[in-house]
Amino acid sequence: MARKKMDSATQKAARMGLLIVIVSVVTLEATAILQYFYSQRILSEESTRRAEGQLAATELKISSVVDQVETAVRNSLWSVQQQINRPDSLEAITVRLVEANPVIFGSTVAMTDKNQAPYSYKQADTVITSSLANAEYDYKHQEWYVKPLELQGGYWSEPYYDEGGGNMLMTTYSVPVTDKRGRVAAVFTADVSLDWLTDLVGEVQVYPSAFSMVVSREGQIMVCPAETLVMRHTVQDLASTAGDTATFNQINRSMLSGAAGATSFKFEGKKHYMFFDSVDKTGWAMSIVIPHNEIYGKAERLGQVVSLLMLLGIAMIILILYRTIKNQRDMNRIEENKHRLEGELKVARGIQMSMIPKIFPPYPERSDIDMFAAVVPAKEVGGDLYDFYIRDDKLFFCIGDVSGKGVPASLVMAVTRSLFRTVSAHEKSPQRIVTAMNDSMSDMNESNMFVTFFCGVLDLQNGHLRYCNAGHNAPVLVKADGKAFLPVEPNLPLGIMPGMNFEEQGTDLECGTGVFLYTDGLNEAENPVHAQFGEDRMMDILKAGTESRALVDKVVTSVHDFADGAPQSDDLTMLYIRFMNSRKTEETERHLILHNDIQQIPQLAEFVEEVAELANLDVGLTMSLNLALEEAVSNVIMYAYPKGSDGLVDVEAIVRKDSLEFILSDNGTPFDPTAAPEADITLDVEDRPIGGLGIFLVRNIMDEVKYTRSDDGKNILSMTKKLS
Amino acid sequence: MEVKITEKDNVMTAALVGRLDTAVSQDVAAALQPLIDNADKTLVLDCKELAYISSSGLRIFLTIRKAAAAKSGKVIVRDISPEIRQVFMMTGFLNLFEIQES
Repeated sequence: MARKKMDSATQKAARMGLLIVIVSVVTLEATAILQYFYSQRILSEESTRRAEGQLAATELKISSVVDQVETAVRNSLWSVQQQINRPDSLEAITVRLVEANPVIFGSTVAMTDKNQAPYSYKQADTVITSSLANAEYDYKHQEWYVKPLELQGGYWSEPYYDEGGGNMLMTTYSVPVTDKRGRVAAVFTADVSLDWLTDLVGEVQVYPSAFSMVVSREGQIMVCPAETLVMRHTVQDLASTAGDTATFNQINRSMLSGAAGATSFKFEGKKHYMFFDSVDKTGWAMSIVIPHNEIYGKAERLGQVVSLLMLLGIAMIILILYRTIKNQRDMNRIEENKHRLEGELKVARGIQMSMIPKIFPPYPERSDIDMFAAVVPAKEVGGDLYDFYIRDDKLFFCIGDVSGKGVPASLVMAVTRSLFRTVSAHEKSPQRIVTAMNDSMSDMNESNMFVTFFCGVLDLQNGHLRYCNAGHNAPVLVKADGKAFLPVEPNLPLGIMPGMNFEEQGTDLECGTGVFLYTDGLNEAENPVHAQFGEDRMMDILKAGTESRALVDKVVTSVHDFADGAPQSDDLTMLYIRFMNSRKTEETERHLILHNDIQQIPQLAEFVEEVAELANLDVGLTMSLNLALEEAVSNVIMYAYPKGSDGLVDVEAIVRKDSLEFILSDNGTPFDPTAAPEADITLDVEDRPIGGLGIFLVRNIMDEVKYTRSDDGKNILSMTKKLS
Repeated sequence: MEVKITEKDNVMTAALVGRLDTAVSQDVAAALQPLIDNADKTLVLDCKELAYISSSGLRIFLTIRKAAAAKSGKVIVRDISPEIRQVFMMTGFLNLFEIQES
């Protein structure tokens, strides 16, 4: 469920991110495209404006030259008409025309009715006169002569190279001349050098690499930067070079039709724009060709830079978004883990709390014990533990503190608590419980965690406390006449090394005496300035008369007040046990009744072992007692009653602080075993009697053996062993 | 209580396992009869796993010892625990038996 939630959150973030990227890209792209098209339009308009302006200006200049020539010719025309029959005068007129007009190179009046054409032209700084009327030239078939007559008006010839006059590009303006009778008598011409045109057009510089072209009415290239083309090619010719015949044909047609316009074409793989217009009267067309790159190059380079920057920007946005989403996802995962951990900690806490007894008072039916415990964990789960239970009138209890905190500590705590229960189920000696627990924990201790542990077994009948410490804080003995730390052997904590020997200790509790056990979370509790609660404060609170719950509550309150809001750094666990048995006996009795059957001996052995454990005897003494009892009891079983008859043997054991007494009683025939002669243990094998060792062993093992025959007819044998 | 008798190289060994108390002494005595029958050989009482011995057990030991003495055999008591050694000492058995540690 949590994972789904996380995924959907991440997906949401991812979708959001994607949306941001798309919106950014679209916005940037749209801006860039708009900007591009807008600048293209501006540039296009600008180039058009500039080209058309230049075209118009240049045409104006050309027209002015053309007008100048036409006017000059027109002005001389009247004189020519008047002097048509006077060749000398005609020659003078042409000379004057050439002299007066710098753009006019030469002039002739070619007669129609006779073969006569005086021609004046510039040579260096003078004007020379010659004649065009020669058979070689045959002026009457020249274009400048034929066309005006055809058209009956002024005519600008196709440009041509003047071979005679110094290789100049020329054009001729010619008009028909009528005589006084209205008959066409001659053709009057003005040759115009087109050098000025080349210069004029060459000056047109719309863009650095733009160029201008002027073509004739016939499509002949008159002016062009590529001089090899001039007068040798037509626009039509260029079409085949460009490989774009259709476009060039179109251009050709448009230009030759005298229209104005603009078009574009590809030449040598590069796009060019062409603006063209016709030059009035001459039938020429002028065009300005601008390479595409010239107009849009900068804008396109700028566009490329902008696009690149935009791509970089988008890449950065994507990167940032990716990182943000990733971070978000990581955060989600951390958050999810935290939630899960918290949940699991809660469960772990529940399990942990269910392991330790926490119902108080735990034994409301008992008046001999008053106890209370409290755990204040630092984190959700802690590594502190306590446990207790009563078996055979003995209170088994323990307190421990696992190194470390949190879940690992709590797991070790759980193991420790289970081990305590398991091991103490068969053991009454704290020393053996602690030793077994240590061995088992050291063997499986791969995480190197250890546990300080204190284990005690309190005999509720007599207040005898046996305890074993494994590196834990010494508990406090709280008595009516004062309090003191229970003397403890420090020993090593559990889990450090297998095979360790732990020392057991013991003490006797008076009625009303309390044992206060705690973990270092108490004395090491800190306030905001890192001062520790300390043992003195703890000792001040401990009072013998105080009930266990009240006392523990008091300590908790005191620590809480002391901490004054400072965070609790360690678990705080307390266990307070007050021994309240006012009728505690100095003696403990155990009782056993046996039949006079030798097969009952093993039962006797069990009984003796139990008593020996009660008196905390070692293995050697336990076996000696067993031997003595067996000898005495088997003696009764075998000899006290007549063969085949049923009888009982009563065995009573009294465990005192300093002695152990066994009392055997039976209803059999009177028999005083103490009266038997002493066995001689110094005899040789051959001389040693097989029997007689039984009572000898009894006497040797026990410190005091007394026989009495009771008034109600019982053999009573009392055997006492002193305990040091 | 368990008795395991083995014989090797003229040596008869009886391994005693468990508690030798009065209740089982008759059975053990019967189980050890082969040793008394072969009292001319070397007899070994392996007490490594003997947990306890009562006077009735000691009587069996003494019986075997006497039989061996009569047939000039030899009895070795092997690996007795400190507690049983204590009983042996108390009863003067230490002087009657050759005690060996393996």
